[in-house]
Amino acid sequence: MKLKKVSGIASAVLASSLFLAGCSSSDKASGDQITLDVFQFKVEFKNQFEELAKAYEEENPDVKIKISTVGGGNDYKQSLITKFTSKEEPAIFNVGGPTDVEQFGDRLTDLSDTKAAKAALDGTLDGVTIDGKVLGLPFNQEGYGFIYNKRIFKEAGINAEELTSYEALKEAVEKLDAKKKDLKIKAVFAFPVKEKWVTGNHLSNVFLASEFDGNVMTAYESPTVAFTKGDQLKQMIDLQNEFSVQPTTSLDYSQQVEELFSLEQVAIIQQGNWVYNTVNDMDPELAEKNIGIIPIPVDGEAKMPVGVPNYWAVNNKVDDEVAKEAKKFLDWMYTSDTGKEAVLKDFKFIPAYEGYDSSKIADPLSKEIYEYSADGKTIGWTFQGSPVGWNEDQFGASVQAYVLGEMTWDELIQKNIKAWEDIRSGN
Amino acid sequence: MKNRDLSFWLFLAPVLVAIFIVVIYPLLTGLYYSFTNWDGLRISKFVGFDNYIKLFHDKEFGDAFWFTIKFSIAAIIVINIIGLGLALIVTQHIKSSSFLRTVFFMPNLIGGLILGFIWQFIFTKAFASIGESMGIEGLQGWLSTTETGFWGLVILTSWQMAGYVMIIYIAYLQSVPEELIEAAQIDGANRLQRFRNITVPMIAPAFTVSLFLTLSNSFKMYDQNLSLTNGGPFNSTQMVAMDIVKTAFTENSMAYAQSKAMIFFVTVAAISLLQVYYNKKKEVEL
Repeated sequence: MKLKKVSGIASAVLASSLFLAGCSSSDKASGDQITLDVFQFKVEFKNQFEELAKAYEEENPDVKIKISTVGGGNDYKQSLITKFTSKEEPAIFNVGGPTDVEQFGDRLTDLSDTKAAKAALDGTLDGVTIDGKVLGLPFNQEGYGFIYNKRIFKEAGINAEELTSYEALKEAVEKLDAKKKDLKIKAVFAFPVKEKWVTGNHLSNVFLASEFDGNVMTAYESPTVAFTKGDQLKQMIDLQNEFSVQPTTSLDYSQQVEELFSLEQVAIIQQGNWVYNTVNDMDPELAEKNIGIIPIPVDGEAKMPVGVPNYWAVNNKVDDEVAKEAKKFLDWMYTSDTGKEAVLKDFKFIPAYEGYDSSKIADPLSKEIYEYSADGKTIGWTFQGSPVGWNEDQFGASVQAYVLGEMTWDELIQKNIKAWEDIRSGN
Repeated sequence: MKNRDLSFWLFLAPVLVAIFIVVIYPLLTGLYYSFTNWDGLRISKFVGFDNYIKLFHDKEFGDAFWFTIKFSIAAIIVINIIGLGLALIVTQHIKSSSFLRTVFFMPNLIGGLILGFIWQFIFTKAFASIGESMGIEGLQGWLSTTETGFWGLVILTSWQMAGYVMIIYIAYLQSVPEELIEAAQIDGANRLQRFRNITVPMIAPAFTVSLFLTLSNSFKMYDQNLSLTNGGPFNSTQMVAMDIVKTAFTENSMAYAQSKAMIFFVTVAAISLLQVYYNKKKEVEL
């Protein structure tokens, strides 16, 4: 009995010591080595990114880079907050735009003295610049519009470059619709109203950006939204919804891209350059030769909505040396030759920085978007500056109600203006 | 209770400590957070009952609550009827009964998220193609409206939970004494009378347990909701758990979400306990 008691106590002590050992901080690197903790969210390029980090470690033997990847929008932020509250401060992490910048404000280091910040393209730093301080460095650029099937367009005798106004687009859509049987397509569009970000973030942005001069910070500070181009927005929703595979409210991203578009059952989808890899997995030939992208026409103009989905931030709660090293690493990634090569070839990014050879951009969609961007024919991504939750839970959800006939367009406008004002004013 | 000496508490200590760490302590901190403006990182002020007052004017939360209640009622009824039905079938003396038990229980072994995706495929693809080939309008466009989303959720949950409550019913059905039924048979009671007057009162504890489980499960459901409809269309099939998660993690209003969670907790606890108390009174003891 006594023996048992003793061994019980002993094992309890052992267990708790193990537990405590697990909690002990591992931040301090051995010797003179500096450990850079990178906490990032982009699962798609995890392996390539780790490769690049290894290359950096080889060039700089006294630096060790520890990368942890947690994927998916919400999960990432959740885990990041958990890390912060448990006093485990990563040196480099990601922020998504003004909202994150405000929330994590007291942790962000000014990066304006980095080479990368100076090389960043015009407008790409808008979302993270506060009082002249650059608090983040762009990952890459992304753009979206109407991605179309070149073969189907050709067979129907449509020239995509001419579709720069709503009228021209509508005519082409009707033409495609009339020839549905010959072209062997189910419908012209696959319009995923179920995916609230497609309507709430992307489509709405095309028609709202001009209200904020295309600047995300202006949108972030705006107390209201006017929907001055609401009629055009309505037209575009109606057009896509009418000529889409039905029912649109249960049509999701995977059906839209993997199934309907990749199997050539629809001619046009509203998506961005990120679909390239998916289409490539399904049908490499289609991806390489037969897809193109055109902007969503607004005011009879063809401007591509291009923006920065995410930024790198350097934590100011880590030691100065670590922060310095973190900046050096980010600079190296975007401005050194090895880094540039990886960004284009391995990451398949559309660079957000000067000094890249655009002919090396890997996929046709990114290339076209980069060209629009280089010509300055772009619309800013202001949706990152909308009130938290407005895009998807308010606007995106309302569009679902609208296409189901549960809400009229006027009600939709009224409700969403009110929602914007309410969230902004903190009610 | 004489045996409640030191060793009694010592033996209980590990469990008590665990419960305190993972249940009581978070509950109390949660309660505290619900009176602040916590955003996950900082607390800048103490807001008293503001969160709770705001909650009563929150239409979205109200809608989610109402939807959850409707869903729970439908799910509880359907699950228990099917579960009891299955239990009655497999306790008859049929050859394949143990095989059937396994099969009926199987859905319960699949995780809720995956089930949601499987059923999403069934509803949007299989239903649609059956509907198309047979010309049945009602089978097309599932999950694209509120009604089909609602019934989709009910069907999914019933399919998953029915096998589980079946096991509970089987256990109690098998403990109904043979001689009681035989005696009733001799007295001339028919099948239905025997079921209503002997089986049902004898398995009353099974109803208590099953109702409790299905009630709390359908109230707290999240993963099936997330993967099957994700609240769509227009957030009309969003249940309370999902609304809370969204408030906390997409809107970053942690404290407000916490107050919703407190209300939710109190409601679920109250309803469940009331149900157990009421059903316990109806149980008979031999």
